[in-house]
Amino acid sequence: MRGLIQRFSGLFILLALCLFLSFSTEYFLTQRNLVNIVLQTSILAIVALGVGMTMLTAGIDLSVGSVAAFCGAIAAGLIVESQLGIWLAIPVAVVAGISLGLLNGLLIVYGSLPPFIATLATMAIGRGLTLVYTDGRPITVPDPAFVFIGNGEVLGVPLPVIIMAALLLTAYLFLAHTRTGRNLYAIGGNEKTAHLAGISVARGKLLVYMISAFAAATAGIILTARLWSAQPTTGMGLELEAIAAAVLGGTSLFGGRGSAWGIMVGVFIIGVVSNGLNLLEISSYYQQVIKGFVFIMAVILDMYARKK
Amino acid sequence: MEKMRGIKAYLQQSGLLIFILIMVGVLALLSDRFLTPANLINILRQASINGIISVGMMLVILTAGIDLSVGAILALSVVVTADLMHRDLPPLLAATAGLSLGGLLGFVNGWLVSRIKVPPFIATLGMMSFARGLALAYTGGKPVTGLDAGFRFLGTGLVAHIPMPIIIAALVFLAGYLLLSQTRIGAYLYALGENREAALFSGIATGFYTKFVFTASGVLAALSGMILIARLDSAQPVIGLGYEFDAIAAVVIGGTSLAGGEGRLSGTLLGVLIIAMLNNALNLTNVSSFYEGIVKGMVIALALILHGLVRKL
Repeated sequence: MRGLIQRFSGLFILLALCLFLSFSTEYFLTQRNLVNIVLQTSILAIVALGVGMTMLTAGIDLSVGSVAAFCGAIAAGLIVESQLGIWLAIPVAVVAGISLGLLNGLLIVYGSLPPFIATLATMAIGRGLTLVYTDGRPITVPDPAFVFIGNGEVLGVPLPVIIMAALLLTAYLFLAHTRTGRNLYAIGGNEKTAHLAGISVARGKLLVYMISAFAAATAGIILTARLWSAQPTTGMGLELEAIAAAVLGGTSLFGGRGSAWGIMVGVFIIGVVSNGLNLLEISSYYQQVIKGFVFIMAVILDMYARKK
Repeated sequence: MEKMRGIKAYLQQSGLLIFILIMVGVLALLSDRFLTPANLINILRQASINGIISVGMMLVILTAGIDLSVGAILALSVVVTADLMHRDLPPLLAATAGLSLGGLLGFVNGWLVSRIKVPPFIATLGMMSFARGLALAYTGGKPVTGLDAGFRFLGTGLVAHIPMPIIIAALVFLAGYLLLSQTRIGAYLYALGENREAALFSGIATGFYTKFVFTASGVLAALSGMILIARLDSAQPVIGLGYEFDAIAAVVIGGTSLAGGEGRLSGTLLGVLIIAMLNNALNLTNVSSFYEGIVKGMVIALALILHGLVRKL
């Protein structure tokens, strides 16, 4: 029993929240609402999986919100202004995003900058590039094929949810069942030991920042498609929410601990709390107050569960 | 050994100084208004807000912590102060209440970190959401405008031709300098950041000093907020968004290690000046504000890489 609580403390918090909400509002346990929660959390889930991987190596990625905005804007701009088909526009946007991730990795590995600072710089640079590219105005994308990415359904399941599920599965297989993935834990656990054991620390770090940027780019494109428009200010604060989700899901800020499933649990804790606060008709201002409080309480509970 | 360390520290500082001198040279070439006394005073006045916050941030970072909540604490403190003045409370009392509130929220951060052992990043991230939400809820999202004329002296007044914000920031830096280099507390803070357990075993009250630095950071954030609203004549609930990042950037550019235990206040001062000069230059050269982030990000990265290179000498 003790082992169970330790291992699944996040899951217990999530279940308790769901139980509380299903008693306090009749809408919570409807199929429509549950699908809604999954759909609304899919963006955060994709970003958090990427950020979580940087945290495994004892890093952090503050640039994801800017990267998401940047890639959404590039994709929208290429489709609307350059008349590029989505099959060309999306890969170009994703590559542009990954190159920002590469910049993070290079600054950290070869510039010896702390990840916090390197990705903070890229956060500012990415947001600036987005504002310059869009001239500060939203770009509307009426292209039906593009809009389908954010609003379409396949066999009744929303496309963003399918993309999220595919990325979750990939992330799980990568972290748990490949050597490169497992090496990330070693890098985060103790960089020097990992290096002495023959693991290429530089390669692992470059990889995670590119993965994180790829995830952010994907999320940015889905978000743009869902709203039919690329907003230059989109994704502000997304980095902090993603980090919060990863931590709630048992990822350590100091590296070496965390899993794809854990991150998903953290993401859904945040998603269910947001949904619950909306259903309970709490003003958006107090929602922030309560979220801050719940966040700290959940981390404390998780810490105690692990200790006992 | 001690002397070698002194030389190394000197080189690190001079690397930053050289960076600033190059920047001044480039900016003077780009704009002939840059090197005028009026503009230099302007830079210092703009730097004072971030400067005051950065002193508190540096104390926290020295102990291997971080404070993401300064912008939100600033916002909550100023809307409460402005509102109390609107309710005819004397400005001095209202400001004291705001500063105490900032200190209280900072203390809660410190308590969470030292007593409950929540990582500083998490505790202050939660506080950031909590305090910002309270500021928005307290004001209903609307700014509180029209402040007491006496209170506004804090932001707009001159003493011996020097703007008040600069004087207050100078006093805060002086106090920080004395605290860090002339008192036992300063030595304790470095020890705490270097190795928390060793500090505890050598009899330093680590819990007390952790609460102390976070409280100081909260009070200083509130103080800089008072100056800011006194200048703007308005307290907005969204004020101070993102200020934590500017303060952290200034502290880190100034050579303080995010891992704690290492750094000098003079470096932080230089970091604050670099950021203020950048902002000023972007305004003077009429560069679109859209480029602000790009330039700022690149300069932060460049300054730190330069730092690293000098350190390796």
